[in-house]
Amino acid sequence: MLDKNALKKAFPVILLTIVVAISVNLLSFADRLTRPQIEAQQQLKIQNLLTGMFPDMSRYDFKNDIYTIYSDGAKIGYAFIAVGKGYGGDIDILVGLEDDTTIKGISIVSHSETPGLGSRITESFFTNQFAGLSIDEVALKRDGGEVDAITGSTISSRAVINAVRETAMEKVKQLDGSE
Amino acid sequence: MGNFMKEFAKGLIITNPVFVLALGLCPTLAVTTSINNALGMTLAVLIVLLGANTIVAAIRNFVPSITRIPIFIVVIASLVTMVDLLFAANFPDLHEALGIFLPLVVVNCIILGRAEAFASKNPILHSVADALGITVGFMLALLMISSIRQTLGTGSLSVFGFHFFTLPILGKQPIAILVLPAGAFLVIGLLLALFRRTGVMKSD
Repeated sequence: MLDKNALKKAFPVILLTIVVAISVNLLSFADRLTRPQIEAQQQLKIQNLLTGMFPDMSRYDFKNDIYTIYSDGAKIGYAFIAVGKGYGGDIDILVGLEDDTTIKGISIVSHSETPGLGSRITESFFTNQFAGLSIDEVALKRDGGEVDAITGSTISSRAVINAVRETAMEKVKQLDGSE
Repeated sequence: MGNFMKEFAKGLIITNPVFVLALGLCPTLAVTTSINNALGMTLAVLIVLLGANTIVAAIRNFVPSITRIPIFIVVIASLVTMVDLLFAANFPDLHEALGIFLPLVVVNCIILGRAEAFASKNPILHSVADALGITVGFMLALLMISSIRQTLGTGSLSVFGFHFFTLPILGKQPIAILVLPAGAFLVIGLLLALFRRTGVMKSD
């Protein structure tokens, strides 16, 4: 038999449990409500970046972390996400390949580099340098490559460049293996 | 109604959360790089603070004092998570710009501070007035800091894609340090000093 005193002592615990239970239910409801929208937003973002890179794209496939780009049924290229270790954290870069050796273009999907310095990796004067380069040309000019670093942001520049080159080599190997 | 206005008005200057209470400084320093971000953070704080103050005031009479803090935090964290999902679904750009500082509204001292110091002791209507006043005070502070940082730090002023002006010399050579973290401390420090010197805001 529960006496009144024990009930009084247990009340805070019971109340907290009820509050947490209500909160869990509300949150899973909110999650179910917003999930399709959030996924659609991410899909839309990738799609916009891909059409920016491959203006002729009519549709794309996503398999084994590689986007295969088609234009009217013909394969016109590949794209994938490369992850670089930047100054402020991971840099996600969408890399497009025209064929096994040539870069179609890159664009920065997300990053947390210093505003005004490293964050300039998103600007076109930097990313445009990659279009048309062959994969082994993707290196800083001072390292024998073809890419100019951003003044004052060598770490961020190098993080992007290395991630693009290394991931591209890896993906090309993967593509060669699968065909 | 007179009380409602009184509780609302005090948040603007007398208990301004940033310049007088000096609460919530972490998000204040972090998101005031542009006016867009400042307004986005204000919207998040408005929803969370209004919800938290209302719920806390509604349940204040039967929450035992030993579990009040965990209960307040559960309420606040649930609201913040919902706002986070809502922003991710509807304003993806803003969600990305606010980044980690959106989920961190959970530990924003303004919100727990108002729940504990005000809403847990006052009726719902007054708590709503308090939440609105504090949010407007927060917004004024963020707007002041972010307009200075954005204008001088980038050399031009634009809000939600609408371009206002580009400064003559600074447009080419902006004071970039103002949009870096150090600039936030400089601007907020100078503003605080100015308000104390002119006697607009006093802490006592």
